[in-house]
Amino acid sequence: MLTFNELSKRRGAQDILTDISFQAKPGRVTGFLGPNGAGKSSTLRILLGLDSATSGTALVDGRDFRTLRDPLRKVGAVLDGSGAHRSRTGRAHLRWVARAAGIGNQRVEELLETVGISEAAGKRVSTYSLGMGRRLGLAAALLADPEALVLDEPVNGLDPEGIRWIRLFLRDQAKQGRTVLLSSHLMGELSETVDDVVIIRKGRIVANGTLEEITGGHPNLESAFFALTDEVSR
Amino acid sequence: MRTLRSELSKLASLPFVWIAFAAGFIVPVGISVLTSLTSTPGENTGFSELAIGVVGAIVLGVAAIGSEYTTEGEESASGRQITTTLTATTSRTRLLIAKIVAVVIATAFLAVLAIAAVFATVSLLVEDGAAPPLDADTLGRMGGALVYWVLMALLGFGLTVLTRNGIIPMAVLVANSSAVTVTYLLAQSIPAANYLPDLAGMRMFTTVETGVHMAPLTGGFVMAAWVVALLVTATAVFSRRDV
Repeated sequence: MLTFNELSKRRGAQDILTDISFQAKPGRVTGFLGPNGAGKSSTLRILLGLDSATSGTALVDGRDFRTLRDPLRKVGAVLDGSGAHRSRTGRAHLRWVARAAGIGNQRVEELLETVGISEAAGKRVSTYSLGMGRRLGLAAALLADPEALVLDEPVNGLDPEGIRWIRLFLRDQAKQGRTVLLSSHLMGELSETVDDVVIIRKGRIVANGTLEEITGGHPNLESAFFALTDEVSR
Repeated sequence: MRTLRSELSKLASLPFVWIAFAAGFIVPVGISVLTSLTSTPGENTGFSELAIGVVGAIVLGVAAIGSEYTTEGEESASGRQITTTLTATTSRTRLLIAKIVAVVIATAFLAVLAIAAVFATVSLLVEDGAAPPLDADTLGRMGGALVYWVLMALLGFGLTVLTRNGIIPMAVLVANSSAVTVTYLLAQSIPAANYLPDLAGMRMFTTVETGVHMAPLTGGFVMAAWVVALLVTATAVFSRRDV
């Protein structure tokens, strides 16, 4: 369970996030939706201990991420791109992540297989396509079989096949009981994937509920999203 | 230990680190071939070469942390390895200590290889009896050279933690150790400049003609103090700031 409680972040005189509160629950895919620059990445970065909050908390099973002893077993994260250095091979990248979690090389080969990049494992990350980089990032996130997955814009820039792959993959992860939290500014791509929806606009949550609750009264998630985000701007 | 193993694995799989290793080995050995064949051996034979070969150690130290902040390229411009690193190891202090230990191990290993190769080259190429004898004094200076390499690598490392980009620390330290020795020129006119880390540390294994005398041990302590202060500052900044 990932819990955000009245999270706020100020940078200089600017409010990046204001009173962000929501939960991502086990066995469900939570879509964290909003336009570019709304504060999605900042929220996820605070959850992962990369940035610090001005006030409020973002907790993993009730604990601050930076106090976790075995973080990779709790949360697997994919932020921008692959999260790998471009001159390393995909396999070498997964191996150092595995070392950090005390995991053997056999598991690395398994994951390369799972995400479908075994043939490219010996190639440098700089030669990977965007989709392959994303898959490498997912492999690293899944190495220690985490309870939750956190993904920032997982379908951004992918071709239709890649989007479909991620979509099915994430559904499957939730079915296995994992908590899946993903951010996106693409509404259409996600309506078939998410169970719960949280919509953020200019650093504030404007809607939070199940997919049915949010789309209720609108033809689809996309029109619900624009109705909700436009309402606030007027 | 997991974090240290992970950091050693990172160093070993980064091509740039192998370039640094090659530079740290080939540069001093290459220069020692030239000097052994062309000039008369003196008390600094072998050691002057090591003062330049330290560039390999500097590049290694800078690359160990600079590579974390390298962006992935046009398609995902803001993707950097540091996010993966910090989601795998949550304690930033533990992470930085593991990195420092990994840099010390790698640089010490490189320095031992380079020192052995330089002195093997010198004794092979200069006339019999003209090579510096392998006495306690020479061995002590070799140890000093090793410490100097490790401390220079950590100096590059600490500066790069602060800048989050390896280019400036690398350019400044490499240029200062090879092409234009700014600190040396400064020391000609300002006596206090003798206490800058690189000039002080060099006393551990070679003579520096600046008119200010400093014992090898004193020089080593002065340099170590600089490096410790830098690393403490770097750790404090690294632990507090947003990535």
